[in-house]
Amino acid sequence: MISIRGLRKDFGAMAAVDGLSLEIETGCVFGFLGRNGAGKTTTIRMMMGLTEPSAGTVLLGGHDIRTDAEAAKSITGYLPDHPYLYDKLTGTEMLGFVGGLYGIPRPERDERARSLLEDFALTERAGELTETYSHGMKQRLALAAALIHRPSVLVLDEPMVGLDPQGAHDFRRLLSRLAAEGVTVFLSTHSLAVAEELATRIGVLDRGRLIALGTLAELRARAAETTTRPGGPEGVVSLEDLFLELVGAAEGQW
Amino acid sequence: MTDRCPAPSVAQIVSPRQLAARNALRRGWRRPLVLGVLTTLFWGASFALFARALEWFHTIGDFGPLLTERLLVLLFVTFFAVLLLSNTITALTTFYLADDVNLLLAAPIEPRLLHHARFAETLASSSWMVLLFGLPIFLAYGVVGHAGPLFYLGTAAALLAFVAIPAAIGVLVATLIVLVFPAQRARDGLLVLVGLAVGAAFVLVRLARPERLADPSGLAGFASFLVGFGGEPSPWLPTTWIVATMLPLLGTREGDPRFFLALLWTTAAALFLVSAALVERTYLHAWTKAQEGGRASRHGHSLLYRLERAGALLPRVPRLLLAKDLTLFLRDASQWSQLVLVGALVVIYVYNFSALPIAENTPLGILLRDVATFCNLGLAAFVVTSVAVRFVYPTISLEGRSWWILRTAPVSLARLWWSKFWIGFAPLVLLGEVLVIATNHLLGVSPLATALFAATLVPLVAAIVAMGLGFGAAYPRLDTQNAAQIATGFGAIVYMVCALGLVALVVVLEAWPVSRLLGFGRAPAAATPAATAGLAGVALAAAFVPCAFAFDSARRRGLRALERLGS
Repeated sequence: MISIRGLRKDFGAMAAVDGLSLEIETGCVFGFLGRNGAGKTTTIRMMMGLTEPSAGTVLLGGHDIRTDAEAAKSITGYLPDHPYLYDKLTGTEMLGFVGGLYGIPRPERDERARSLLEDFALTERAGELTETYSHGMKQRLALAAALIHRPSVLVLDEPMVGLDPQGAHDFRRLLSRLAAEGVTVFLSTHSLAVAEELATRIGVLDRGRLIALGTLAELRARAAETTTRPGGPEGVVSLEDLFLELVGAAEGQW
Repeated sequence: MTDRCPAPSVAQIVSPRQLAARNALRRGWRRPLVLGVLTTLFWGASFALFARALEWFHTIGDFGPLLTERLLVLLFVTFFAVLLLSNTITALTTFYLADDVNLLLAAPIEPRLLHHARFAETLASSSWMVLLFGLPIFLAYGVVGHAGPLFYLGTAAALLAFVAIPAAIGVLVATLIVLVFPAQRARDGLLVLVGLAVGAAFVLVRLARPERLADPSGLAGFASFLVGFGGEPSPWLPTTWIVATMLPLLGTREGDPRFFLALLWTTAAALFLVSAALVERTYLHAWTKAQEGGRASRHGHSLLYRLERAGALLPRVPRLLLAKDLTLFLRDASQWSQLVLVGALVVIYVYNFSALPIAENTPLGILLRDVATFCNLGLAAFVVTSVAVRFVYPTISLEGRSWWILRTAPVSLARLWWSKFWIGFAPLVLLGEVLVIATNHLLGVSPLATALFAATLVPLVAAIVAMGLGFGAAYPRLDTQNAAQIATGFGAIVYMVCALGLVALVVVLEAWPVSRLLGFGRAPAAATPAATAGLAGVALAAAFVPCAFAFDSARRRGLRALERLGS
């Protein structure tokens, strides 16, 4: 469903993303991990056509984001790391506007907006301007906007930032449900707990390069083979251990 | 663990602004260079104009010193009124609405120090424009009056205190307003008030027919206006004090400038301390109220949906964008003031043509009508350009940080561009056509020439709008949601210059065929259908070719800039 081939982005002499290739199947929740500045957001921005790649291709549902952008975007929902909204629109209007951009007819748009606002516990504040929303509410509204056209691919950049425990819990349930319904989720996150709980496959990016790719079990096995930790292979238990092991090995040292 | 951080200085608190300005200067030399050239040209023109007026005052004997004084009083009264409003609006922002106040409040900074830093910012951002306008004028006073160095030193010292007084009053008023009203609404209300006041002032000045000053009796009228201005100056006003400081130094009046200079400085210092004391005592309370006020607005009704329904005949994307842009516009009161100014501009424009002395059929009257007819096209396009700078140029920047919403939707950039284009083009071409047709009617211009101008305006306005979108995308201001601020940036100035260059080019290229066509009106024998059609065709082609080139170039560059936007 998502195919990334030889993706590269240079900023001057620095390669922010360096020859990234990935194949993600339908219904997979792909956890995209990496330290700050590893190139995750740049990758996502290239996937969504927000940043022009220096080289490589991105196919979403078989549609090239550069040559067949409208088709690729029509099946994709996107939540950026900082979801700036139109301050002077209300929550309902925001969803209505985004739904309109995706060509959803008015009555259906209204119905979906109502349902999403309810799902994201925003009904009470739906008639207020988004400038009055808290960060978490804006995050929830942006996620609702990403879902209004019922996408088959969902690209999420740090979606848990700003969510309260209840919001985070509801969000995890939502992702599980969407994956079960066949939605492919590309999830960039710092929350290793979320990745561990939800991701069926995990990719670790470091300095623009993919240094690990596989299921949690595969990565654990690989890390156990190479670990230099005092506890040996048994020391690599959680995804956090695994992440530190992988990134530490790529770095040589912290 | 018990060590306390050393308290930061005012200079440290305002340093982010200085560093940002320095970094902006470092980004390239072209921007400061163009601004420097434009400022120098403006200063040169202002200096020449005022020097000429002051020299004329010197030639009219005993009356001269009085006129010199009254002109100075008029200037300072205007400056003081502008500074009062500008400082109040700026103080509302810097003290109570700026994003970085949270950071400063969380830092170990005493409220008094915070006041001093924000006061300095308010003073600088409100006063630089007045100083920029004032500098060549005061210089003209010194040069024409052959003043010594003491005049320049005294003027500089007096000006510093003079601008500090409205700044302190502005901070006091802003704080008192915030304690009573929500800060955002108070600022919006003030901005609308400013728009109405400026619009009314423009219309009143125009209705006073200042063109009468062009003849000697008119100048005498202006002189009598100045003499009568304000009657006897009030001894309680800083405007009187600063004039009383400058004129003795200029040698045009008796008096001790030290007394009035001391009065200015002590008043400024006292008001500064009072504002510091008020802010120190009430800041946290006022800041909290300002935040609460911002959250109080409720808009249950769906304006967006109503506007979308109203535009049901339009294609989907332009309809949605139009509904969204109009909703955002109508909910931002600061935009309305600009609309008021546009209204005033149109009223003045139409009135100008009705006031022209073209009724008589003298050679001068006919020549004047021909010139006015010819200028009408350029002037209407100039008005359209001014409106485009304010309403079309900022549209890309206003998408700002929300650009990702449109960019990740399944809508091509070309469709977005065309939607934005039609949203700008339709009202502007209508405005241009109304201006040209109405004023040509007032001038009694032939229907053929009017039709020719109306047809010329279509490609010309299309090019102006395309250039607005192109420059707007090439010089985006994603850091502000204030359209007025965006419209006064560097890119806006470059856009204005380029658009007016295109207007001038079209007017020059159409000059020959249009003058021949106007000549046909006086010599109908030469006006064969073939000659008329030929000249009209040449005129339209002369307009169309550069406009098509400008449109296409702006569209392509605009699309390229949109692709890069936010990446």
